[in-house]
Amino acid sequence: MNAIFALGLAILVIGVLSVAFVRPKTYVARLINLEIPAWGLLLIMLTYDEALAILTFVAVTAIGTFVIVRLLSWRDASC
Amino acid sequence: MILILEAAFGFIALVGAISAALIRDSYGKLISLGVLVAGILPFIVDRGYIDVAITVALIAPIATIFVLMVARREEA
Repeated sequence: MNAIFALGLAILVIGVLSVAFVRPKTYVARLINLEIPAWGLLLIMLTYDEALAILTFVAVTAIGTFVIVRLLSWRDASC
Repeated sequence: MILILEAAFGFIALVGAISAALIRDSYGKLISLGVLVAGILPFIVDRGYIDVAITVALIAPIATIFVLMVARREEA
């Protein structure tokens, strides 16, 4: 197995477990932990030589983070 | 890539992922997320995807700034 693929799988598993069993049960900690498996998935996609897919994935991950941040601030304002 | 460099960058990425998962503070999580990105970026450069490396280097700090907007609000 390729070294990059194995490293990506390890980071993906660590990130998924940390999102599922987040220690301080807050939205911010879960949101930050959600970025870890994204980088692991990026390493796995790097193994398959799809540059356009990686570019789109990185951009959409950042946009999704921004949307969730706006949602969290709206929820705090409504409470 | 040279084997010892590959092992070193893989170790940096793993340490960043584990510490980002285990640290309880929000700012500490963001800092270790930066360590994780620093470990991953040389692998992208090694495959020859310079455009992907430029995009990641531009977008990763922007995502950190987005999360920082919520982290500061939670702290106050």
